[in-house]
Amino acid sequence: MRYPQRRGRLSVPGRKAGLAAAALLVATTAAACGGGQNDSAPKAPATIPELTKDPLTLSFIWFDWPPAHALEAFANAEYAKERPNVTVKVKTVPNANWHDAMFTQFAAHKTDFDIPILDSQHIGEAVTNGNILDITDFVKKNIDVKAYNPYLLAAYGQFPQAETGKRDENASLYGLPLLGDTWTMIYRKDLIGDKPPQTWDEMISVAEKCQADNPGVSGLAFHQANGSDAAAVTYNTVNGVYGGNLWNPRTRKIDGVLNDAAGQEAMDVLVNKMKPLTAKGSGNWFIDEVNAAVAQGKACIAFNWIAASGGLLDPKQSTLGATREEILDKLGFAALPSQKTNLVPLGGMGMHVSAYSPEANQAEALNFMKWFEQADIQKKWAAAGGVPSRTDALESPEFLDAAPFNQVYTDSVPRMRDMWNVPEYARLVDIENTNVNAALNGAKTPKEALDDIAKEQQSVLDSSSGKGGGGL
Amino acid sequence: MSDPAPLTTDHPGQVASATPPAPGRSRRSRRLSDRGLAVAFTSPALLLLLAMSVFPLLWALYLSFTDYSATRGGPAQFLWFENYTAILTSPQVHQRALTTLVYVVGAVTLQTVLGFAIAYLISRRTHGRGLLTTLFLVPMMLSPVVVGLFWRFMLDAQFGVINSMLGSLGLGQVEWLTGQRTALISLILVDTWQWTPFIMLIALAGLTAVPTYLYEAASIDRASEWFRFRTITLPLVWPLLLIAVLFRAIEAFRLFDLVYILTSGGPGVSTETLSFHVYKVAFLGFNTGTASAYGILMVLVVIVLTQLYLRYLNKLKED
Amino acid sequence: MAVSVDEAVGTRPARDRTPRARRFGGRGRAVLEVALLTVLAAVMLFPALWMIETSIKENRDVYAIPAKFFDFKVTMDHFKDVFVASGGGRSTLSDSFLNSVVVAGASTALATVLGVPAAWAYSRFAVKAKKDQLFFILSTRFMPPVVVVIPIFLMYRQVGLIDTKLGLILIYAAFNIPFTIWMMKGFVDEVPAEYEDAAMLDGYTRLQAFWRFTLPLLLPGIAATAVFALIFSWNEFVFAIFLTSSDSVRTAPPAIAGLIGGTTVDWGLVAAASVVFALPVLVFAYLVRRHLVAGVTLGAVRR
Repeated sequence: MRYPQRRGRLSVPGRKAGLAAAALLVATTAAACGGGQNDSAPKAPATIPELTKDPLTLSFIWFDWPPAHALEAFANAEYAKERPNVTVKVKTVPNANWHDAMFTQFAAHKTDFDIPILDSQHIGEAVTNGNILDITDFVKKNIDVKAYNPYLLAAYGQFPQAETGKRDENASLYGLPLLGDTWTMIYRKDLIGDKPPQTWDEMISVAEKCQADNPGVSGLAFHQANGSDAAAVTYNTVNGVYGGNLWNPRTRKIDGVLNDAAGQEAMDVLVNKMKPLTAKGSGNWFIDEVNAAVAQGKACIAFNWIAASGGLLDPKQSTLGATREEILDKLGFAALPSQKTNLVPLGGMGMHVSAYSPEANQAEALNFMKWFEQADIQKKWAAAGGVPSRTDALESPEFLDAAPFNQVYTDSVPRMRDMWNVPEYARLVDIENTNVNAALNGAKTPKEALDDIAKEQQSVLDSSSGKGGGGL
Repeated sequence: MSDPAPLTTDHPGQVASATPPAPGRSRRSRRLSDRGLAVAFTSPALLLLLAMSVFPLLWALYLSFTDYSATRGGPAQFLWFENYTAILTSPQVHQRALTTLVYVVGAVTLQTVLGFAIAYLISRRTHGRGLLTTLFLVPMMLSPVVVGLFWRFMLDAQFGVINSMLGSLGLGQVEWLTGQRTALISLILVDTWQWTPFIMLIALAGLTAVPTYLYEAASIDRASEWFRFRTITLPLVWPLLLIAVLFRAIEAFRLFDLVYILTSGGPGVSTETLSFHVYKVAFLGFNTGTASAYGILMVLVVIVLTQLYLRYLNKLKED
Repeated sequence: MAVSVDEAVGTRPARDRTPRARRFGGRGRAVLEVALLTVLAAVMLFPALWMIETSIKENRDVYAIPAKFFDFKVTMDHFKDVFVASGGGRSTLSDSFLNSVVVAGASTALATVLGVPAAWAYSRFAVKAKKDQLFFILSTRFMPPVVVVIPIFLMYRQVGLIDTKLGLILIYAAFNIPFTIWMMKGFVDEVPAEYEDAAMLDGYTRLQAFWRFTLPLLLPGIAATAVFALIFSWNEFVFAIFLTSSDSVRTAPPAIAGLIGGTTVDWGLVAAASVVFALPVLVFAYLVRRHLVAGVTLGAVRR
């Protein structure tokens, strides 16, 4: 193989291509700089515009888990009765990729979904960037707001964020509840008795005893992974129960609030009292690993999202019994124990309308939301395996009898607390996740981890006026 | 990018002074058609490369001087070198650089030693070499996704088969993926498992190419085996092995998918490599400007490694 | 000279040509070496075997402690689940396999169609700064994908290629072209230019000479090169996960990765999907075993 050793002159294809690339660069840079000035959310009409009679596919985007499949089946069965020309498609992405998949499409100002199912904490980012419709007027005209616990309505729709437990009726709404959720305590009735522990301290000592009495079974199982919001929700839950606060929304202070005495105590309880009761190597566990531990009979007490607990009753996945009844003889579900407060984490997601959807689809989306929030439909959703939000549906036998953990949800509704739903959420939660995960796995001391979280989160909030710089 | 400079220079496009394959056939028409052919045949490929590789990098270079964000609108402000100084002075980045260094050095060293050892052992066998080599190559052909997922399952502290086997041997459970040290070691081990065959394959090619008469001469001289290995085998295989090592180093430096699936950077951030950190900056906070600068810096490192690689490759070809 | 595996693994021992008496340790040492090789082979192969085993186990056996190596009930349910959705019909996983076939196939075809003529031109003609061009081409292949994906993402957003198969095809083709050119240039170099000269003396144009005489000789090389490009596109994950989001576009690697992170992990299904996914690659790799050394070094090492 020989190469001519002359160099320096540009080949013809190279030069042409260079020019083409330069032209493309100019064009796209102009486009990149020109796009995206709409920094406030566009408004949805108060009344639903006339709906199309042509075939239409209404697309959702969610992450891949059983409720997503339940929603698609339910909507196609029930909504089609009212709108036969509409097909509902729930697109699913891997959980770890959920936020990115939605927001990269938002950023492109082109979405292949009409209804993004956002976590309550994603609202700030979506609203600030003008990605979802302001549906305040639509809600006023079409939704019976009194049928809901006000905080549930606020949590999945209101921005700026509501105070815990309340709704600001003057604030704008950007979404409606789709699937409610919170943590449930899952306990082994055959190992610790029928009565669930009432306080956090009691829960820990029961777990300790259970672990000592039953070799091979660990006392506790909970989320510790550093992906998604796993470890962060765990710490936030303990923080709430021990009377801590995540931040002061009015002054936007995290440093000094999160890591105050209550916060430190919570971190200490989590790392020094709870972590030693978990299985070895459980430091990367999230929803499915906790479920596996329970199903394999390896945990006395576990914490998991209610909406993710259905699989526990499936005898095919479980070693606890050959039938659902046998499994239920051993597994109990209860609301979380309380300590200084009785707060529980708010989970679940709302329905929102993509600002980049065609008008016909946006109209259909609004119509779907109105339809979905009716009392009888909410009950049917409950019966189909969903978790409704209307108070009447939450108290209906359709819901309460559908699954053993549904009562837990109804009982927990007044106790919920959310995280921050500011535009910087993705980075705040990542900071908390990695640091709590580090503390749980001995890579940082509890105090060090908490102080680092507070400091780093504070600097994210403080520098949020900047745009794409920073962020390390 | 050995030489991106010509892209910006503006020379008249005279090239491809077609050398006729046989002397005495330099008719003008033939020259022209050869030159035309050369242009017509190379330009589509080059155009695609320019559009999909060079242009994006130039764009990233431009963005790296700004505070552009892919999700927050508004025009980008020029920050010039602010992003670069922020990255180079950030202790967060230093930590990831160290992790990456440990990972690259650890993994490449381990797979070189193992790969060469296996190749050496195989080269000494008379029978079953074809089968052995084929079997050893299986891990290399698997997608990193499959490798990552499956090792995650096998290394699970509670339900994984590795700890189960250790348990049968009377050893305790190891927290493969959640210990601060062990997680990085696991990452290195999995990468080694997948890529030892690569080194083995190339080392084997080198070992088989050593002419036997050299050994015969050495055996007449009654040279010790170690002496023969050191003076004949190693010097002859070394250049080829070096290529393999550099190639692996570049690949390991670029690694993303295995971290993403196996540990997602945990526990804490102790297995976050530079690639993984760039991803977080780019897609969690959408700090596109910073992420671009970060990426450009990584590209610089790759360019240096690639230059080394190409230099050795060239040397090898000239020999 | 190209060292192929067949050659490297021929029956001829590399250096045991020493007289018997000179052999160190003799038989004892050979036994030790075979034992060592066996252990190493077992370690290297165990994960693959375990994957196959997991794919045919029932889920409750998958989690069994201590692990069950032999005494488990064999089931093919996981393989059924790979292709058939729980309610009947095609599963999304099988859709993703189809997408992978389309994307890998099309990108390989594109890279081959663009790369082979370029390789021929680089081999036959004295293009200005050829060496620089070739090295530049190769080095684009070494860019960290996570870095490239940021501007590619922005670019695709402008032109509407995000979440399209075409977008994936183009980027995979761009990553495969450097490889195709380097690998093919080696093959073209091995075909004597005199063949074309002779054809041209007979009145063919150079293009005709390439088309009628050189190209047929290159076909085995093209096939081997295409297979490597196919393997790369088939296994690729980073671009796939960042540039696609819908079921109708998603290729198999992100789809398989998506099997974990729900509410329960069906490791049997993950294993079965992995086996189905890996099989074609192993078959293809076997087909091109003669060119593996060149293939895995992007055509750079072809001694």
